[in-house]
Amino acid sequence: MTEENTEQTNKKFDYNKTYKLLLIIPAVLLLLSLIYLFVFYQKNNDIIRKDISLSGGTVVTLNTEKDIEEAKELIFQELEDFSIRKISNLRTGEQIALVIESPLGVEETKQAIESALDLKITENNSSIEFTGPSLGAAFYKQLLYGIIIAFSLMGIVVFFVFGDNLKLKIIISILTLLPIILFWFGAINLNVAMVFNIIILLFSSFIYIKTSLPSFAVILSAFADITMSLALVNILGIKLSAAGIIAFLMLIGYSVDTDIMLTSRAIKSRDKKLNKRILSAFKTGMTMTITSIVAVLVALFFTRTFSSVLSQIFTILIIGLSFDLLNTWLTNSGIIKWYCDKKGIE
Amino acid sequence: MKITWKVWLLIIILVLSLISIFSIPPKFLEKGVVVKSVDKDSSSFSQGMRQGDIIIAVNNIRVENLEDYTQRINEAFDKNIGEERKLILNTKQSEYILFISQPPEITVSNIPSTTLNTGLDLQGGARALVKAQGKSLSNNEIQDLISITRNRLDTYGLKDISIKLVSDLQGENYMLIEIAGATPSELTELIEDQGKFEAKIGEEIVFIGGERDVSHVCRDDATCARIESCFPNQEGYSCRFSFHVSLSESAAKKHAEATSKLEINSTNPEYLTKKLDLYLDDEVFTSLFISKDLQGKETTQISVQGSGSGQTEQEALSNSKDEMNKLQTVLITGSLPYKLEIVKLDTSSPLLGEKFTQTILLAAIAAIVAVSIIIFIRYRKIKPSLLLLFTSLSEIVIILGLASLINWNLDLPSIAGIIAVIGTGVDQQIVILDESNINKVESMKQRIKRALFIVFAAFFTTLASLIPLYWAGAGLLKGFAVTTIIGITSAVLITRPAFADIIKSIGE
Repeated sequence: MTEENTEQTNKKFDYNKTYKLLLIIPAVLLLLSLIYLFVFYQKNNDIIRKDISLSGGTVVTLNTEKDIEEAKELIFQELEDFSIRKISNLRTGEQIALVIESPLGVEETKQAIESALDLKITENNSSIEFTGPSLGAAFYKQLLYGIIIAFSLMGIVVFFVFGDNLKLKIIISILTLLPIILFWFGAINLNVAMVFNIIILLFSSFIYIKTSLPSFAVILSAFADITMSLALVNILGIKLSAAGIIAFLMLIGYSVDTDIMLTSRAIKSRDKKLNKRILSAFKTGMTMTITSIVAVLVALFFTRTFSSVLSQIFTILIIGLSFDLLNTWLTNSGIIKWYCDKKGIE
Repeated sequence: MKITWKVWLLIIILVLSLISIFSIPPKFLEKGVVVKSVDKDSSSFSQGMRQGDIIIAVNNIRVENLEDYTQRINEAFDKNIGEERKLILNTKQSEYILFISQPPEITVSNIPSTTLNTGLDLQGGARALVKAQGKSLSNNEIQDLISITRNRLDTYGLKDISIKLVSDLQGENYMLIEIAGATPSELTELIEDQGKFEAKIGEEIVFIGGERDVSHVCRDDATCARIESCFPNQEGYSCRFSFHVSLSESAAKKHAEATSKLEINSTNPEYLTKKLDLYLDDEVFTSLFISKDLQGKETTQISVQGSGSGQTEQEALSNSKDEMNKLQTVLITGSLPYKLEIVKLDTSSPLLGEKFTQTILLAAIAAIVAVSIIIFIRYRKIKPSLLLLFTSLSEIVIILGLASLINWNLDLPSIAGIIAVIGTGVDQQIVILDESNINKVESMKQRIKRALFIVFAAFFTTLASLIPLYWAGAGLLKGFAVTTIIGITSAVLITRPAFADIIKSIGE
C-alpha cells in the first residue's frame, strides 16, 4: 500500500484519470478469490477447513517436556488421524505443553496418548476439550447463518445512512427481517431461512446498485474483504475454529468503519474539492487501519504460542485488515469517485 | 479547558466502574481469608459458618492471608493428633468456637483483589454441554432436568457448581454444567451416572422414584436407615444396608395390581413367585422377596436392602454408605426418562490459566502502548495522544465495571471482545480527531457533529453484526457478543462524546 500512498500524494498523478484503471486490481483479485473458493469447494465439499470445534473430536493439551517429534512418532503407532503442535514460553522459549488433536472421543484419545507416551493424563498435567460431531456441524451452520444475518443487517444500516428512498429502506428491512423472525418462531427451519436470506441479500444488493451506489460500494468492499481473506486463509492451510469465524464477523465491523468515514466525507461534505476530500479521508483511514494492524500484531506476538483461539482470531484480522486497505482505497474510493463524477459532486 | 456535562458523565461512570471492580472499601486492602466452601457434615457448618465468610483471626491471633491461616491451623493441630481441642475462628461478623480433633473441614483462599469473575478457561475446572440422547428437550423438560441434576449434585456435596439452560439458534436446548476445580472424568461420571431407576415386578414397572411415586425416603436417621451388618466374603468384606421408603398411593396401587397376579412360591411358601427387582442404570441392583401377606395389598411402606463390598471392612462400609446414599438420592429425585449425552466437554488446568491471564494482560498493555506511539508519530501532539490512551483505558475500565456489576464471567471470548472494542474505539477516536482538524470552513460544532454521525453509523453496523452471535452455537460465544455490545454501546454513549467534547475545547 505504500506505493499507492505515494501515487495519491504525488502532484503529477491524476486520480481523475486512473481511478477506473485502479479498480481493475481489486476486481481481478476478487474474481481469482471467488474462482479459488469455487474450486476449493468442489474439492473439499466446503468453503473452509474446519478444526475440531466445528467438525467434532478431542483436543488434549498436555503439560510435558517430551520432544514433539518423538511424541509424534510414538502416538502415530496408536492413532491414525491426529495432529500435534507445541506451546512454549514466550520469554524463555521453553516448551510448556503439547497440543494433540484427534477426531475420536475423549476416552479413546486419552488412552491412546497414555499408552503411547507411557504417562497418566490427569487434571494437573492436562486440559481437555471435546466437541461432539453433531454439535460441531450445528454450530457451523448457525455461525454461517449468523454471518449472513450480520451482513444483511449491515447492508440495511448502511442503506439507511446513505440511501434516500425511504419506501425502499422499509421494504428491504421488512424482507430481510421476515425470514429471521419466521425462523425465530420456528415457522421455518435454518436451511430455509438461510436460503431466503441469501436471495433477499442478492435482491437488496441489486436495489443498492440501482438506487444508492455508495451503500453498495461499502457492502461490496466488506464482501471483498471477507472473500479475499477466506481464500488466503485456505491457501495458508489454516483450519478454522468457531473463534476463527468470529474473526470474520469482527472484520465486518472494522471494514465498515473506514468505508463509512470515506463515504460520508466524499458525499456529505462540500468544503474542498472531491479529490482533496478523498485524500484527507485516505489519511484518516490509513491511520485507523494501521493502528488496528499494529495493535493486533502486538497482541498476536504475545499470544501466538499460547492460545490457538486468540492467535487464530488475530491472524485472520491481520489478513482481513490488509485486504481492507486495498478494498477501501481502491474499490470503495474508486466507486465513490465514479459516482460523484456522474452525479456532478465536486 | 471547559468541562462539559458529557465529561462529567464520563468521570462519574469511571468512578462507579472502579467502585464496582474494587468495591468499597477496596478489596485489595482487606485482610484475612475468604471461606470457599464448608463441608455440610462439619461442626463449622452446623455452627453457621458459610461460604463467603471472611476469617480474620484464628485463636484470636490475626490472619492476614492464606499463609498466615495455614500456619495458625498447623500450629493448633501439630500436637496430640486426634485429641479434641478448642479452636476459635473469628470472622468479620461473628466468632465460632469449635471443639474438634482435626483441622476444620473448610477450604479457604486469599481474598481476591477485585470483584471480577474469571471464566472456567482462565480459572481451571470442567465444563460440559449436555443434551438428551436422541431427543430434543422442551423448555419444561430441560428445567426439570436442571433441577433434578442440581438436587443430585447437591446431595453429592459438590461445591462451586453452575448449572444453566442454554439454547442455540435452532432452538435446541442444552444443560451447561460448570464445576470449578473439577476434573473432566469426575464431571463425565457425574453426568453419565445419572442413575436411571426402575422398580419392576417381572416386566411391569411399579415405580420409578421421584415425588409422584415416593412420598418419603428415610435417610440420616439410624432408626430407619442403617448399615445392618458387615461380614467377610471371598473378595474381602461386604456390608448390608437397609432403609425405609414410603410409596405414594398411586405407586402402592400399582404394586397391589402387579402382585395380585402372582402365585405363591412353591419352594419358599412364605413369599410370592416373582421378586421386586430394583434396576439402577438398567441393571438389577437388588431383588426383594415379596411376602405373601402383601399380595394384592396397597402397601405404602417398603424396606429396601442392598450391599456394598470392599477389600477391607472399612472400605466395604464406606462403599455401602455410598451405595445407600446414591439409591436414596435416585428415589428422592426420581430418574430421568432418557439417557444423557455430553456433546461438548472443555477442561483447563488452573496452571495454564494463571499464565494465561498474565500473558493476556501483557498483550493488552503492549498493544495500547504501540497504538499510542503511532498516534504520537502521526499527530506530533502529546495532548491528543494521551487523551486517546486515557479514553481507551477508560473504555476497558467501564467494560470491566459493568461485567462485575452483572456478575459476568470473563472467559476467553470475552477477552477477544474487549480487544475488538479497543480496536474500533481507537479507530473512531481517530475519526473524531481528524474530523475536528479538517474542513476549517465549517464550525467546530458542525465538524464534531459529522464525526459523531460516522461514529454512530459504524456503531449500528457493528451492533447489527454482533446480535446473531448471541445465540449461535449454544451461546458458547456469548462472552464475545456481550462484552463487545457492552463495550461499544457504553463507548458511543459515554466515552466517545466526552472525547469529542474535550477535543472540541482543546481545538477552540
